[in-house]
Amino acid sequence: MEEEVEKAVFVYLRKKGFRLTEIALQEEQTRLSSDASSLSRSESDAAKYYDGYGKLRSWAYNSLDSYRHELLRVLYPVFIHCFMDLVAQGHMQEARTFFQTFREDHEMMHLRDLQKLEGILSPSHLEEMELARLWRQNKVKIRLCQYSYELLVQYLHKTQSLAMLGVINEHINFEVYPGQPASMSDDSEAVSLIGTSQDLAREINQKELHWGLLEDSVEERMEKTLSESDKTEVDGNKEADTEDNNKKKTDGNKHSTAVNNKKKKDKVVGATGKTIRSESSMVSVPPRVKPELTLPQFPPEVEQSILEDLRNRVQLNSLALPSVSFYTFLNTHNGLNCSTISHDGSLVAGGFSDSSVKIWDMAKIGQPGRASNPQGENGSMQGMHSLASDEAKRPYSLLQGHSGPVYSVSFSPFADFLLSSSSDNTIRLWSTRLNANLVSYKGHNFPVWDAQFSPMGHYFATASHDRTARLWSVERIQPLRVMAGHLSDVDCVQWHPNCNYIATGSSDKTVRLWDVQTGNCARLFIGHRSMVLSLAISPDGRFMASGDEDGTIMLWDLSTGRSVSPIIGHSSCVWTLAFSCEGTLLASGSADCMVKLWDITSSMKALKTDDSKSGPASRLRLLKALPTKSTPVYTLRFSRRNLLFAAGALSAGS
Amino acid sequence: MSIVPKETIEVIAQSIGIPNLSPDVALALAPDVEYRLREITQEAIKCMRHTKRTVLTADDVDSALNLRNLEPIYGFASSDPLKFKRAIGHKDLFYLDDREVDFKEVIDAPLPKAPLDTAVVTHWLAIEGVQPAIPENPPIEAIVAPPDGKKMDHGKDDSLPIDLKLPIKHVLSRELQMYFDKIGELILGRADTPLFKDALLSLAKDSGLHPLVPYFSYFIADEVSRNLNNLPILFALMRVVKSLLSNPHIHIEPYLHQMMPSIITCLVAKRVGHQISDNHWAIRDFASKIVASICRRYGHVYHNLQSRLTKTLIHAFLDPSKALTQHYGAIQGLSALGPSVVRLLILPNLETYMQLLDPEMQLDKQKNELKRKEAWRVYGSLLLAGGSCLYDRLRLFPGLLSPPDILPWKTNKKIALTNLPNNKRKASSRLTAHQPPTKKLAVDPTGTNSQFPSTDGPATSSSSGSNPNHHHSHNSSNNNSSSTGNITNANANINNVSGSGAHGQRVAVSNVLRQAWKEDLDAGHLLSSLHGLFGEGIFSFIQPAEMHCFI
Repeated sequence: MEEEVEKAVFVYLRKKGFRLTEIALQEEQTRLSSDASSLSRSESDAAKYYDGYGKLRSWAYNSLDSYRHELLRVLYPVFIHCFMDLVAQGHMQEARTFFQTFREDHEMMHLRDLQKLEGILSPSHLEEMELARLWRQNKVKIRLCQYSYELLVQYLHKTQSLAMLGVINEHINFEVYPGQPASMSDDSEAVSLIGTSQDLAREINQKELHWGLLEDSVEERMEKTLSESDKTEVDGNKEADTEDNNKKKTDGNKHSTAVNNKKKKDKVVGATGKTIRSESSMVSVPPRVKPELTLPQFPPEVEQSILEDLRNRVQLNSLALPSVSFYTFLNTHNGLNCSTISHDGSLVAGGFSDSSVKIWDMAKIGQPGRASNPQGENGSMQGMHSLASDEAKRPYSLLQGHSGPVYSVSFSPFADFLLSSSSDNTIRLWSTRLNANLVSYKGHNFPVWDAQFSPMGHYFATASHDRTARLWSVERIQPLRVMAGHLSDVDCVQWHPNCNYIATGSSDKTVRLWDVQTGNCARLFIGHRSMVLSLAISPDGRFMASGDEDGTIMLWDLSTGRSVSPIIGHSSCVWTLAFSCEGTLLASGSADCMVKLWDITSSMKALKTDDSKSGPASRLRLLKALPTKSTPVYTLRFSRRNLLFAAGALSAGS
Repeated sequence: MSIVPKETIEVIAQSIGIPNLSPDVALALAPDVEYRLREITQEAIKCMRHTKRTVLTADDVDSALNLRNLEPIYGFASSDPLKFKRAIGHKDLFYLDDREVDFKEVIDAPLPKAPLDTAVVTHWLAIEGVQPAIPENPPIEAIVAPPDGKKMDHGKDDSLPIDLKLPIKHVLSRELQMYFDKIGELILGRADTPLFKDALLSLAKDSGLHPLVPYFSYFIADEVSRNLNNLPILFALMRVVKSLLSNPHIHIEPYLHQMMPSIITCLVAKRVGHQISDNHWAIRDFASKIVASICRRYGHVYHNLQSRLTKTLIHAFLDPSKALTQHYGAIQGLSALGPSVVRLLILPNLETYMQLLDPEMQLDKQKNELKRKEAWRVYGSLLLAGGSCLYDRLRLFPGLLSPPDILPWKTNKKIALTNLPNNKRKASSRLTAHQPPTKKLAVDPTGTNSQFPSTDGPATSSSSGSNPNHHHSHNSSNNNSSSTGNITNANANINNVSGSGAHGQRVAVSNVLRQAWKEDLDAGHLLSSLHGLFGEGIFSFIQPAEMHCFI
């Protein structure tokens, strides 16, 4: 079309004899075309990115103090996109120099992302790498205050840096809010979030969540009976209590001494703790919900033991700290991958790299007679194991069946079953009574990183490298639900106390909460800066704690999906987290050989007071740091009586 | 552009049998190799995390390769992290130190020990939030904030039922160790430097010295027993004790039982320093003050502290076989504990003791001058003890003592200075005229000591020339705390010691005292029972005083 017009113009000029005009036109045309070609993209594009980013950076660093931190937030996504644009256009060398030059600025905040992105060396890698794909396909949302935004727009117009303008237009969504810039520390929703996932999170987190406890649970029934008896006859109740206590004391004597000691301790405080608890429970009773799964009924004698434990529970708070019993694994030769402790602390299991699972019965270890005369006790086992004589020498029961490193073990609520998950893609169910394998569950396609029994037993959840979490019932070899949605490995899984939800932590730095009935994602928690390694949900079902590779512990409000308080809790990986039974304390165990106790109630109170405004999140208060002797803490578990059990392998290196 | 150079690709190509790889291919492969390496590393790190480790091992890489359906690398089987060595001359080239082992060596070598089987042991990491100090737990930090000191002790108490017998490893920080060494060096070598004074000040003020207290108490006990004849060191040690005691941040009570013996040694040892040349009396006085302050401060905590101490001292005092120096120390110690102790323990025994002491002091009966000197010392301290006791009693009647405190000294001084040539009558009449001051002087130990010589001033003494000298040393050492007026008095005494009537003086002084007593009695301030006790005591007390004047 244009050419035709041009031709027509030339014809017209010739016909009329406007020679000079014709020459001028021709000259102008050639100049234009040569201009276009001289802007050889390969050279100037790279330079444009480099210069443009350099200028933007120095401008941002020289901007007004109060707006600087907001403007600096813009730099990181621009940096990443400049780099990826350069790669996409094939300027490998330039991309590399660009990356190396400006990398330092972002290392503090985004080191792990940078390490991953550094590997991108060809356009095809951009397609292949999930992180790069995420960046390129989604927009970053940045919150800026009105004035910061104006400053930025002014700058971009004034400098005419088209490359930067292009990147910013293409990949960044600004969310401009009126008023003063937010404070520096309020960084939780800053930059590293990807636009759509943020929207997704918002959308998901608007769903209704029934975080309350189960109806008709043993605890509830106990509280009911308590309050009833309180109403009817106060004196009689007291008498019954003392009788109870006396009876228990005699019971306690039957147990091994170690257990006995602690029970006595528990008991002393138990009596006082109980009354306080019944009072406090009056104040804020978590809502009750119906179970979505058909749950098994506890046999009456089991229920009895739970009730007794509940009666003897020690009241823990910031002033009354728990006793911690530590199980140290010796001579593991770097082979212990995971461990778990049964509810009463009597059984300890470890999963090893050599595919074996070992269970120690702590009550029997105390008895010297057992080692010499085990035949009577293990008589039934001899038939099953050809190595029965060998078995007798061992202080533990050895479970062999997996064909790859065992990555997690989990006891059923009453320690009669044990689950183990392994890199051979299977989960195995073992009976602790028979010391034998019962079922092997196949379904995952990659190593199963974590497996957890539900609080009521019967069901269990698994997390795998195949980016899914699955829900199983012990009596079916196929999974009941597959929870897909994580963008990378699912590293840990945890049950909600009401059994209606499971929480998963992933290498994509997010935590998700799934509805077990529908298999849909019910909450998405964004905020961690590295792989999520451990999860714990408070007993009232309202809060969740998650720990990551960097030692950060975050506390989340399940109902809103918001972070309550991020803390740098440890200097290394947080392997395990546990809430005390009444939810007042959080214990965290880490690779830095520490057990730390955090006060939850204080941050809860702060949360309640400024629930309406999303002010700066209150921080968890560290109550106590308990260093171990070069023993990383793998597992923490509060017993029903609020005794804290911890386990870890003594590391030979030190 | 890739961190994997294309030469590497070429070398690898050659190693797998592709002799001439085109440079373009190498160039294209290099970045991909780097990417794959990073990918494998990323997966390996995931595996590492799931085996709950923080150090990457060959196993993790194998697992990562397994995840990607790749063949694992062979030859690196080890559950421990690999140990890389840096190639000499290269900044970032590392290699595995893979020693070649002779087959024969391996075969001939004895079988290695079978590795120990995995086991689980249990211990208390914390009991109600407090870590018990057992070997399974890491040692409690050496530096503890002073207020925590007590708390920590309570924590240990809590843990007592669990494991008491196991030794507690005590780690001392480097700084504290240096501090301790420095102090020790100062005590033993340079106790007279201003630096030592600063050190004492630091010992008395600094917080955070608590971990050193056991070391100091041991050091002091050790050095005292070793340096009994080195007075400067003993003095330095005692000053350290005093500083430690005065430090408000130190919880010293548990270590008192270690320190007390050394202090008591300094107080009642038979020989402290060189008997002749050193002023060992001073250290005994100093030690007695320390002992008294300890009793005052911790007496209520350890109720048997004072009783045990007085028992020790009274034993030393009443044992005639003990040396006079020991008696002196015991008397000093007892009198430092307060007038009531003196009244209860010394005064009842005073008369008998004086009978023992008397011959020692007589020139004709005790030929050894040193012994005599010692006896006089003991006598002086007894006088002091009795006097202070008396003073304490009299203090109960403020009406008698409240009148001018400074005036008497002044007048006294005037007397001493102006009435030097005057005869004794005048002096004594002057004194009787000023009744209350006289009483004070007569009763106050420092007063008595200085008063007698000064009133003696005009009196002539027939004794040898050595005695005045002795008087002088006696006074100046005993009256460390007295004013310059005393010293001038003493000087005056030396100057005028000759040519005064001893006999008359004796009468005069006893008159003065007796009158004072009578006044008290007349006034009805002193209880009759007290008089019974003191009546005799004071006579024996006065008599030697006169004898003391006499010589």
